[in-house]
Amino acid sequence: MNSLLNSDNILFTSAFAIQFISIAFLFIKDQHKALFAANTVLLIGLTLGLFSTISSALFSSAEISLQSIFFNFIRLDELGTFFLFIIQLVAIPTTIYNFSYLSHYIEENRSIKSFVIFYVLLLISTQFIVIANQAILFLVSWEIMSITGYLGMMLEKEKEEVQKGSFYYFAASHVLIFILYIMFFLLHQQTGSWFFSDYHLSFSTGIVVPIIFILSFIGFGIKAGFMPFHFWLPQAHPIAPTVLSAFLSGVIIKMGIYGILRTYLFIKPVPEWAGWFILIVSIISAIFGVWYALAQHDIKRLLAYHSIENIGIIGIGIGIGFIGSANNLPAVEVLGFGGALLHTLNHAIFKSLLFIGSGVVYQNLGTRNIELMGGIVHRAKYIAILFLIGSVAISGVPPFNGFISEFIIYTGFFKTANELKNFYPILMLMFVVGLAFVGGLAVACFTKVNSIMFLGSERKAVKHFYTSIYDYISLGIFALLCIVIGFYPQPFVGIVNKVIVSNFVSSHPSSALINIDWLFFTIIFSIIALGIFFLFLLKGKLEKKFGKRTSPAWGCGYENINPRMQYTASSFADELNEISKSVLVYHKKVEVSNTAFPLPSKFESHSNDFVDSKIVLPSYKFLSFLVMKIKFLSQTDIRYYIGFILIIITIYSLIAFLW
Amino acid sequence: MDILQGIISVLIILGFAPLFIGLVNKQKAKLTGRIGAPILQPYYELQRLFKKETINANTSSFISRFSPLLNFVSLITAAAMLPVGFWKPLISFNGDIILFAYILGLSRFFQILAAMDIGSSFEGMGAAREATFALFAEPIFFFTIGSISFISGYTSLFDIYHSIQLDNISYEVFIVICSISVFMLAVTECSRMPVDDPNTHLELTMIHEVMILDNSGLDLFLYQYSSYIKLFIYTILEISFFYPFSQQSYLVGILIFVFGSLVLSLALAVVETITSRYKMKNIPQYLLFATAIGILNLLIYTFTK
Repeated sequence: MNSLLNSDNILFTSAFAIQFISIAFLFIKDQHKALFAANTVLLIGLTLGLFSTISSALFSSAEISLQSIFFNFIRLDELGTFFLFIIQLVAIPTTIYNFSYLSHYIEENRSIKSFVIFYVLLLISTQFIVIANQAILFLVSWEIMSITGYLGMMLEKEKEEVQKGSFYYFAASHVLIFILYIMFFLLHQQTGSWFFSDYHLSFSTGIVVPIIFILSFIGFGIKAGFMPFHFWLPQAHPIAPTVLSAFLSGVIIKMGIYGILRTYLFIKPVPEWAGWFILIVSIISAIFGVWYALAQHDIKRLLAYHSIENIGIIGIGIGIGFIGSANNLPAVEVLGFGGALLHTLNHAIFKSLLFIGSGVVYQNLGTRNIELMGGIVHRAKYIAILFLIGSVAISGVPPFNGFISEFIIYTGFFKTANELKNFYPILMLMFVVGLAFVGGLAVACFTKVNSIMFLGSERKAVKHFYTSIYDYISLGIFALLCIVIGFYPQPFVGIVNKVIVSNFVSSHPSSALINIDWLFFTIIFSIIALGIFFLFLLKGKLEKKFGKRTSPAWGCGYENINPRMQYTASSFADELNEISKSVLVYHKKVEVSNTAFPLPSKFESHSNDFVDSKIVLPSYKFLSFLVMKIKFLSQTDIRYYIGFILIIITIYSLIAFLW
Repeated sequence: MDILQGIISVLIILGFAPLFIGLVNKQKAKLTGRIGAPILQPYYELQRLFKKETINANTSSFISRFSPLLNFVSLITAAAMLPVGFWKPLISFNGDIILFAYILGLSRFFQILAAMDIGSSFEGMGAAREATFALFAEPIFFFTIGSISFISGYTSLFDIYHSIQLDNISYEVFIVICSISVFMLAVTECSRMPVDDPNTHLELTMIHEVMILDNSGLDLFLYQYSSYIKLFIYTILEISFFYPFSQQSYLVGILIFVFGSLVLSLALAVVETITSRYKMKNIPQYLLFATAIGILNLLIYTFTK
């Protein structure tokens, strides 16, 4: 508004313009060339955007000042900038992967131009969501994001599973936007404004604000994938094209987290029950998300369940933040929200890495079933290493980034217990144990994924394992980010701290997040890395001296070992699945013939989602049953419909008149 | 001075870890009526393995070669966080209890991967068991040492142990029962009876041993040494409950350290003599039992305080 022409704004605006212009390059006839041109331009736009984000006040040492442009419709506050940073950071490597991923489709003679359009629009609308300062703009961007996501998912629309899975996404998105409409109408009714910067409500004023809170949690919770509302994730992620599932899991579900945090800023401080509510929902999401993941054979579905787990961990952070806010404890608030925000960034990074890694495998083997994979490490060593880095990170195991954010959340628990005394230590201890349990399950799950997919010998033989340079660049960027945030968390923690101190904490700025001895992590992890390196050199020397060779593995003297005799994913997770049978809806069928000459025996196992199979589908069936009851109203004659419309209008006018 | 003491602590752990296991084995042999190997036998074993040729399975990848190194280094790191006697450990900062638990998790992650790397069902079986049981073992750590941390308000292992003041009876009982839980945890994590039988000869019945079945030479050296260190780490976790932290003197420290190790090695030997290994499917129950003890203990302590 005031300085539309200053250099920052020009950079910012041109970044969006360039991203938009990339669509124009799809008019090039040759698909390969069109993809290359459009993708390159999109990348330039995104990189410029990232530069403009990084040069903003959040990342520099300058005093934070609000940037308002375009008549206040757009505002770059710290929270928005942080999410903008996440979106652009994830979008760049994902777009790089587009080069190799979509060229596979072009070779199959499939038109990818419409997909690229949807993809570009999806990126732009997602960025608009976090910078929007006005409810209508927010909702329109949200709707564009949902619809372009849906259309992009339909790339292989002739497949039945694609139609089914994308419909889940579409239906969930629309229930959600309906709830968001109500929520924003309530906000407008309370404040008389459509601008976010005018929304300052307080819980103590009546029943409306709690309703807004609940609506926001349900609405945004559906997008984020908190446990009872998670059912669309495992349906939509597997069928989406890999770039889209990476972006969906890395960024789009984070828009739900953004929404919850944004709403929190409207209504803070919240009462304590809100914090407990989120904590309990989150711990359930985390534990059952990862437990479901353990039972999956479809790699992308497994990763989708892991997103639910990680959203749960983020939610735990938010819950602690809420409790801190309710009790006016800035230190707890900083740790809770800080852990949540950093985990949002971290999860965006490693989940995209894992999705793209699984996409590379899928392109080569043509299956998403991990039971058919194996031994890929002997074909593509570096893909295996990159995927492994992502797995270690997502399990929350040091020295990568997942550990750092979980560590902040743990510290939040300790801080809450310390500050509030009373019965809090015991309650917090329960959550600590819960989180540790989730960590253990994640370790079990990702050792399973890595070892079944990449290690051992090949279950399904492929002639060549194609990898392109783009795969390595894209995965490499993500892996590098995992390592950097893990080994040197200080600057990232600083950014998160800045977001919270300026946006969230009402009283004096607290430095609980900065006070953690982050340097210790850098030193310890470096020593571990160096120690391993020196031991490696030493071992090499000793092996030269004492000898080193390979030989067949021990098979109790049996020689004809074949790849099908390896431990499978089902058998690896069998014991844990048995324990959780009742909640998992886990089915196992074994058929063994007991005749003198045994016939081939059969084994199958699969799991259904509890919410999906016991709640969503039955209620959907019930609904369609009801709809069928009024089917007689559906006529071919248009005059009937005009009659209906007249009747409805009359009823509405009568109501309006009598009100 | 602190750093010097820390380094000496780590060296003590590294140096005496094989001795401890030798002690356990010797006493176990005596209790079962055998003469048994000399107490220093683990040192000879390590020396023997050190000079052997390293053989890897055909189907294995870089993971098999990388994992022993990582395992060893991460266990040394965990050892460096432990207070030996009254000394401040090498690595000690607020929140190191979390890092301690997770560093052990890191070593487990790669050990499971290395086992699966062979592509044989034997190792797969061991790996699956390790993953499952570790999951149930994790809560025990947090219900014991974690709960002391929550009670005292400290988050560094050194401070947590120093906060233990055995002055009132309910806290004493609490600590003693915590130590029992930790003992059950140690038995699980270090693959001792009744969870795992370190001396069995059938691959199907092992957990830890079967995971390193196809390792030899230097790899096996590192794995064995790490497992000795791991047992000693848990021993120290256990002994550290009982230092009289109010009066610090070297003599008392050394005496308790030696005496505690002896008592624990005897306890392990007795348990291994009188129990047999549980059925695999009963092990989660055993671990949940230890967890339940932890929870009950904590609840009782909170309500009698």
